[in-house]
Amino acid sequence: MGKQYEIPLGAQHISLLEPLHFKFTTENEKIISTDANVYYVHRGIEEACCTKFKFRQVSFVVGRVCGLCSISHSTAYSQVAEKLVNIEAPLRAKYLRMLVIELDRIHSHLLCLSHVAENAGFEALFMKTMQYREFSMEMLEAVCGNRIQYDFSIVGGVARDLKAEVAGMILQRLKTFLPQLDELVDIFQNNWTLSLKNKGAGAITREAAMRLNVVGPFARAAGLAIDVRNETEDLLPWKEVGFEMVTDTTGDVYARNMVRLRELYISIRIIRNIIASLPESALVTETKAFPDGEAVVRLEAPRGELFYYAKGNKTQMLERLKIKAPTFSNVAAMVEAFTGNEYGSAPAIIASYDPCLSCTSR
Amino acid sequence: MKLAVYRKKSPWILHYNAGGCNGCDIEILACLGPKYDIERFGMINSGNPKQSDILLVTGPVTKRSRERLVEVYAQMPEPKVVVSCGACACTGGVFRGMYNCEGGIDQYIPVDVYVCGCGSRPEQIIDGVIKALDILERKTLELEVSVRLKKVPVEENGQVNRREVAAKIIHTQHTYE
Ligand code: SF4
Repeated sequence: MGKQYEIPLGAQHISLLEPLHFKFTTENEKIISTDANVYYVHRGIEEACCTKFKFRQVSFVVGRVCGLCSISHSTAYSQVAEKLVNIEAPLRAKYLRMLVIELDRIHSHLLCLSHVAENAGFEALFMKTMQYREFSMEMLEAVCGNRIQYDFSIVGGVARDLKAEVAGMILQRLKTFLPQLDELVDIFQNNWTLSLKNKGAGAITREAAMRLNVVGPFARAAGLAIDVRNETEDLLPWKEVGFEMVTDTTGDVYARNMVRLRELYISIRIIRNIIASLPESALVTETKAFPDGEAVVRLEAPRGELFYYAKGNKTQMLERLKIKAPTFSNVAAMVEAFTGNEYGSAPAIIASYDPCLSCTSR
Repeated sequence: MKLAVYRKKSPWILHYNAGGCNGCDIEILACLGPKYDIERFGMINSGNPKQSDILLVTGPVTKRSRERLVEVYAQMPEPKVVVSCGACACTGGVFRGMYNCEGGIDQYIPVDVYVCGCGSRPEQIIDGVIKALDILERKTLELEVSVRLKKVPVEENGQVNRREVAAKIIHTQHTYE
C-alpha cells in the first residue's frame, strides 16, 4: 500500500460555481475515497415559506431556490398549490409552462456541457458552447421578461402570454440553433483529446445507480430509464407534445454528455410541437379558496426528479413545505463514482454531475 | 514601475458564491463567454485569492459561508475592490430575515460597488466592474503616496535602516508562531 494523501477541493474553487467541498483520499493520484460536504448554502427557505410569505407569494420565493431551474421550482410549487386549493390550470398555461421548462432545459444542459469542456481544459469548446447557449437566454428573456429569474408560473396559471412574434422568433432561432447543435454533438462525440478525459471517467454501473437511487441524466446515462415526463400525464401532458426517453449504457462522463446533447433534440421537438399546437384558453384560473389538505407533485427538472410536498390548514400561510431536489438524490452516487479515477479528472467529473447545491441545501 | 498601468489594464477577478441561488453566478459565467466577453477588458477569472484584484460576491451571507467569505477577502492583497452582485448580495433580497441568512455582505466586508437586480444582467455586471476599476485606481494611488520625513534623521551612533528593522520584526514573528 502506498502513501495516502488527503486533498481538499472547495469550498471556493475555480471549477465550482457554488461552495461545495470534497475531500479526496488519494493514493498515487488515484482517488480511493471521497467525502462530500454540500450544505454551505442552506438559507432556510422552507421555513420562511411557511412563516413569512403568503401562499401566493411563495411561487416567487421558491424560484430563488435555484437560478438554473427556477421555472421547474415555481411550476412544481404552483402545481402543488393548485392541488391544495382544488383548481386546475388552463390548458394554455400548461403548454406555456412546458415551453419555458424546455427552453430552460436547453440553457441548463448547454451550461453544464460548457462547464465540462472548461474543466477538462478545452477552453475553445467552452466558449463555443456558451456562444450557442446565448440564444436560449435571449428567447427566455423574450418569453418571460428576464434572463434568469422568470417568475413565470404563478398559482393558477402563468403570468404572461406568448406573443405571435415571439413564437415566430423562437422557431427561427431554433432553425439556426439546430446545425450548431449538430456541430457540438460532433465535437463531443469525435474529438479525440476530449474523449481521453471523458471516456471511462466517473463511471457508475446500472446496478449501483439503481441501488443508490440516482435520478436525471446521471441515471439515464447509466441505462436506467427514469424520467418523470414519462410517468406522469395528469399535470403536464408531456407525451402529447412528443416526449421521448433518451438513455445510454456506459454511465461515464462521455455518456452523460451524450444524453444531455440528445435530450436537446427532444427539447427542440417539444418546443416546436408546443408552438404549432398552442391551445386557446384563459391564462389563469381564479379562486378565492385557501389551501387545505396535503399534496405531492413530481416534476422533471433539468437535473432530474424534483419533488414537492405541501400541507395547508385553511389559512394564507402553508403549514409545511418540503422540497427534495434532484442533486440531493445524487450525492451518494457522486461520492461513489469518484472511486478509482485520477485526481486530475475530478473537476470534469464534478461538472458532469451538474450538481446544484443551492437546490440541495435550500 | 508600470504596475499601476498593468493593474488597470488587467485586473483579475475572484468570484465567490456566499449562498445565492446561482442566478447571478451563471450571469458572471455568461460575462466570460463570447457574447459579453469581459476578457476584452483584460479580466480573467482567477481561482486564487492571492492573485486577484476584484472580488465578485453573490448571495446573501449564509452562516456557514461567512467565515470563508471573510477569509477569502483577507487573503487578497491590497489594493482590492469588492463588487456585490445581485439584490441578495446587496441587501439580502428575498432571503433577508431567513434564519440562516444575513442581510447582505456589507455586514462583513466593505463593499465598493453595488450591482442591483435579481438576477443582475451581464451588462450591469460589466458596468459595475468597470466602475470598480476606477475605484481600484484611486485606491492604488492612495496606497502608493510616499510619506516624506519631516526631520533629518540623526546621523551619529550609526544609521537605523528601515529595511533591516522590518526584516527583524518578520523574523521574530515567525519564530514565535
Ligand atoms: S440576486 Fe436573485 S438571481 Fe442573484 S443570486 Fe440572489 S436570488 Fe439569485
